Amino acid sequence: MRIINTLELSGNNGRDSPVYVAHNGTVYDVSRSSLWKGGRHQAVHEAGVDLSEHMSGAPHGIDMLKRFPVVGILSGDKE
Amino acid sequence: MARVTREMVENSGIDVDQLVELLVKNASAELTTFYYYTILRLNLIGLEGEGIKEIAETARIEDRNHFEALVPRIYELNGTLPGHMNDFHDISACPPAALPTDPTDINAMLTVLVEAERCAVRGYTYICNMTAGKDHRTYDLAQSILNEEIEHESWFSEFLGEGPSGHFMRRGQTSPFVSKFLK
Ligand code: HEM
Repeated sequence: MRIINTLELSGNNGRDSPVYVAHNGTVYDVSRSSLWKGGRHQAVHEAGVDLSEHMSGAPHGIDMLKRFPVVGILSGDKE
Repeated sequence: MARVTREMVENSGIDVDQLVELLVKNASAELTTFYYYTILRLNLIGLEGEGIKEIAETARIEDRNHFEALVPRIYELNGTLPGHMNDFHDISACPPAALPTDPTDINAMLTVLVEAERCAVRGYTYICNMTAGKDHRTYDLAQSILNEEIEHESWFSEFLGEGPSGHFMRRGQTSPFVSKFLK
């Protein structure tokens, strides 16, 4: 599995780029979702970041994310 | 715009711009669902399809009512709707309830219908949580819509045989919860 650092993750924030979101160390590509268009979700969340801590506030579970392809594992390093 | 109305909501600690954006996205979900349900309802034919046509029609009309009820609240809070329908469609809070490849597959039709309702139940639950005890009017509106969306979910879920919930179809008028916002 490819290692994705936070810099690469933040570059895939949906603004003229694919839409990646990280959750519990896994990076998902949600580009094909109409609900993540432009890298924004429900007026509340931005793509290109680790959203692990925000899932508990969502009106749905991780199953929504698991419908999308995994593109890598998140490393904590910036380089 | 209702200036003091917005001020009161701001003072309660709610991010009003975020709330308005959510209301606009859900208004889009309602109107686009009304459109997609029109196509679904038209295709509900045959022995099985005709059995759920009436209920899909009621959900369709109530979703349009939800759109109508949401719009004044958006403007009271100093929000606006996009000037172009394309833009409005594309910001929907829910995925399109598109016609399945095989419209004679009644389970596929019911799955599209129940998933659209579930998306709405999620969205309004979130808005209720966000506004509870703070923005009383938006809460009342979102809660009224939520009551109807929950019934829609139950109707379609029961046709899929997922389990009973004891709801009946509407007897008489549509939108028993939301109608007070439509007068
Ligand atoms: C806290 C605020 C959030 C709200 C209000 C929210 C709301 C929603 C709603 C209403 C849906 C549609 C559900 C359905 O079709 O039944 C959805 C789908 C989804 N959400 Fe969230 N969500 C939130 C947070 C999150 C977070 C933190 C993530 C990721 C870590 C996430 C990822 C997704 C994904 C991937 C989908 C599926 C999109 C699709 O099917 O195209 N959401 N969300």
